[in-house]
Amino acid sequence: MIESRIQDWFKQQGWRPFAFQQRVWQAMREQQWGLLHAGTGSGKTLASWLGALQVCESTDELKAGCLKVLWVTPMRALAADTTVTLADSAKDLVPHWRIEMRTADTSASVKARQGKHLPEVLVTTPESLSLLLASTDAQARLQSVQVVVVDEWHELIASKRGVQVQLALARLMRWQPALVCWGMSATLGNLEQALQTLTQPSGQPGLLVCDDMPKAISMEVVLPPKVEQFPWAGHMGLSLVGEVAKRIWQAQTTLVFVNTRAQAERWYQALLEHDSGLAGVLALHHGSLDQSVRHWVEAGLKQGSLRAVVCTSSLDLGVDFLPVEQVMQIGSAKGVARLMQRAGRAGHAPGRSAKLVLVPTHSLEILEAVAAKDAVLKLSIESRSSPVAPMDVLTQHLVTIALGGGFRPAELRAEVQLTHAYRDLSDSDWQWALDFVSGGGKALAAYPDYRRVVAGEDGVWRVPDRQLARRHRMSIGTIVSDAMMQVRVWRKGGAGARLGQLEESFIARLKVGDGFYFAGRLLELVRVQDMTAYVKRTDQKRAVVPRWMGGNMPLSSELAAAMLARLDGEVQDQDPDPDPAWQAMAPLLSTQSRWSALPSSNYLLVEQWQSREGSHLFLYPFAGRHVHMGLAMLLAWRLSRESARTFTMAVNDYGFELLCAQPLAAQEVLSPALFTIDNLQPEILASLNASELSQRRFREIARVAGLVFQGYPGAKKTAKQIQASSGLFFEVFRQYDPSNALLKQAYDEVLSQELEHERLAQTLQRMQSLPLLIKPLERPTPFAFPLLVERLRERLSSEKLSERVARLVRDLEKAIAS
Amino acid sequence: MQAEFANIEFAGHCFRLLPSGAIFSVAHQTLWVADLHLGKAATYRQLGQPVPKGTTTATLKQLTGDIEQCQAQQVIVLGDFLHGPLVHGSQSTLQAISTWRAQHAHCAITLIRGNHDDKAGDPPQSLNIRVVDQPFEFETMLCCHDDQAPGLSPHSLVLSGHTHPVVVVHGRARERFRLACFVVSPNRVILPAYGAFTGGHVHKPTSEESIYVIADQTVIKLSGPI
Repeated sequence: MIESRIQDWFKQQGWRPFAFQQRVWQAMREQQWGLLHAGTGSGKTLASWLGALQVCESTDELKAGCLKVLWVTPMRALAADTTVTLADSAKDLVPHWRIEMRTADTSASVKARQGKHLPEVLVTTPESLSLLLASTDAQARLQSVQVVVVDEWHELIASKRGVQVQLALARLMRWQPALVCWGMSATLGNLEQALQTLTQPSGQPGLLVCDDMPKAISMEVVLPPKVEQFPWAGHMGLSLVGEVAKRIWQAQTTLVFVNTRAQAERWYQALLEHDSGLAGVLALHHGSLDQSVRHWVEAGLKQGSLRAVVCTSSLDLGVDFLPVEQVMQIGSAKGVARLMQRAGRAGHAPGRSAKLVLVPTHSLEILEAVAAKDAVLKLSIESRSSPVAPMDVLTQHLVTIALGGGFRPAELRAEVQLTHAYRDLSDSDWQWALDFVSGGGKALAAYPDYRRVVAGEDGVWRVPDRQLARRHRMSIGTIVSDAMMQVRVWRKGGAGARLGQLEESFIARLKVGDGFYFAGRLLELVRVQDMTAYVKRTDQKRAVVPRWMGGNMPLSSELAAAMLARLDGEVQDQDPDPDPAWQAMAPLLSTQSRWSALPSSNYLLVEQWQSREGSHLFLYPFAGRHVHMGLAMLLAWRLSRESARTFTMAVNDYGFELLCAQPLAAQEVLSPALFTIDNLQPEILASLNASELSQRRFREIARVAGLVFQGYPGAKKTAKQIQASSGLFFEVFRQYDPSNALLKQAYDEVLSQELEHERLAQTLQRMQSLPLLIKPLERPTPFAFPLLVERLRERLSSEKLSERVARLVRDLEKAIAS
Repeated sequence: MQAEFANIEFAGHCFRLLPSGAIFSVAHQTLWVADLHLGKAATYRQLGQPVPKGTTTATLKQLTGDIEQCQAQQVIVLGDFLHGPLVHGSQSTLQAISTWRAQHAHCAITLIRGNHDDKAGDPPQSLNIRVVDQPFEFETMLCCHDDQAPGLSPHSLVLSGHTHPVVVVHGRARERFRLACFVVSPNRVILPAYGAFTGGHVHKPTSEESIYVIADQTVIKLSGPI
């Protein structure tokens, strides 16, 4: 009996099973689905894994020879670690089993071997799982799966990758009705809903097992010697490099979290330049580095040979690095859950507290850090929910299943509707998706000669074209990035080491001989060939840091509320001594009060300023950058409805700026009617049409739905005949097929994700109920300044394009004449 | 709305730059267009990429409008008339082109082969289109697809297409536009792409080039540095 062998194994290790582990095992033996919420490093991997063995034993006594356990993990960095953890106990408990992983990093030869013969346990990502479903003999290979474990479910649930997992579960359920699935999640504000989303296909309510004793977190804020009164995003951060280096030496090991890959490269360089003693004991880890580099860093952390690692969210998740003693967060963590998750990386040993050091990169982030401490204390944590019926993932799934053995529409619809995301899928949406992949139906009359999926005489829909099949398999995946180029060291007579991947658009801007920072090194571009950039080390002075797309999370409501509570003076420090970080904010806040007023939840502060650029309005609803973008667009649209006006808009997490080319008087134009929530949705959609936001959103949808094809990796020539930018697709759809459902989805996604329209409506309602406080400015205030210097802007205009260009030409002529 | 064109002088002749992206010489009753990429959407559809129909029809309709409004006797296509070899397999595209051709039977059409035409092969003979290689002499000028083609002297006076030029311009209140444009210099005129389903490539103007952008139905000359 495996159960007693597990008990023995625990004894051998000198451990005793935790109560929560035994509860999971019991539930799994009873074929129950569920979600385990436990802190990292507390044995949650063993809970699901040993439970899975017990399920397998009850069905076929752990016979080897086919795939039994699928372990889905959101990140490749986690896959390797998980495989080792599982193999460690498997060698004693199920020595005859193979435990392997299959991710985008897996070599072609291993994939080919797995193609013939899948191992008993496969650790994989949502994309690679979809790819398995797209193989012709998917059913034969996957119907033996008895247990699915979804690791880090909190990370997947709110994304399209999570929807891929939901769809895959429904598929596996059909082949194996006795399937058991367990998820594992970190702290979330809505665990019950997360459970239900996962267990929906089983038809059972599922069991939530919680074992998360909130770990004591000690938090400290690093303060600059002088707090800048005019904060500029990212401006002051590097000046704290000395403080960061000092604290690295004070702890045994440190994880230094930054929010973007570019920041990781920059901080790594800055730390080494500041303190050469860190060379050799400081490493860099982010998702664009080659897996060999990442593995080396992860191993170094585990052995304790590294003192510190500068990392992005690539090290956010589950990997258990026992020796980590201290976690630093550079810049804003944007959310309470994320901050607690990162803090949880430290002090894994039982009873040890997590030490978290916050390093603000501009003055307002000091305020945010103070608020974060308040929120962690109060445990006000964010929720995450699944997307609802995304059409791009559905069309992708239809082609996937058509490839993976084909489907009958009625059966597949029933299966798809087992998932939480598609449980309310409408007839018309389903029909549209079928039409879209098959080129049939009335709506698709606009597409002569086009089809991807074809219904056979037997009623089964398949993909007959091998080229198309190959293209679909190449582009499965919902994570969006630009076309990626390999970066390799140049060596005569053959390519040198792989360093990682960079976006093609970045490489395209470089000339041969230009310097750039990547993988923690200063490199020079030698040549570009076959989607590979060859580089060598250099010591030239001028170099750029690559910018990667994506990764601009909004400030959560919970954190924003905590900030406003501080500004409104509602929070009193519990210690007799006031928080030094809060005290450090005093001069800035005093300047803000004198020149204008503090933003507040009791009134709506509007600042007005006139410059050579035009009229500026600054508002501070503290609702996160997404909502601010929606509000800015909506207000600009409403203001430009009556007279032809052109606006550009800048947003940050605290407020937004409307900059109007024409004169604008706040007292006259800001009426309560401007903030009405009547007619909200159509008016936001109208404002979207006048801006470029939805076009950008369409990039991702176009790629998921297989419209934009990136070309085959390593292929000498990309498939030029069918390469067009998503922007061009967007324009063509809008003009020639305006009712296209993908277009509609682009608008919906902008509404729900980019503008968070529910939060937007709540914010607008709050704004309407508040008294207005209009302050004319002589100069920009500390809160206005970061908006003023924000370069990324949205535009909205009710002027005709030709009029705008004519005005521009007049301006240019005036400039020349003066 | 009345289309507004701009006038330029090039190689001793007067030309109109039309908001469609064509240029016209009154003296020669001749219309030049570049990069139509007819049948591009149909090619995509045949390869399994869903692009709605209508782009080729829109391009041809626009060309009809230009021919009728200018009363052109001759059209010179500066390359990339057809998008690729698969166009020859799309009956709907070929039918649309031949119907259009019949409406303008009186009009002489010359196609200078571009890189896409090389791959696509010449249009069917029944269309009665004269097909020539670049450079094609027209009075004192050379008509080409690509003004960087080997063998062209920098002093020759060249009309060309190929690059699908667009410029990015910035204005007050940090406005930003991306607009298709004509690039005019003493020895060169580059036309924007005429086809409805074509993208653009950002052109960085040099000091001796003048840029004429297309905004709505108007051609506007940009003055000063962009």
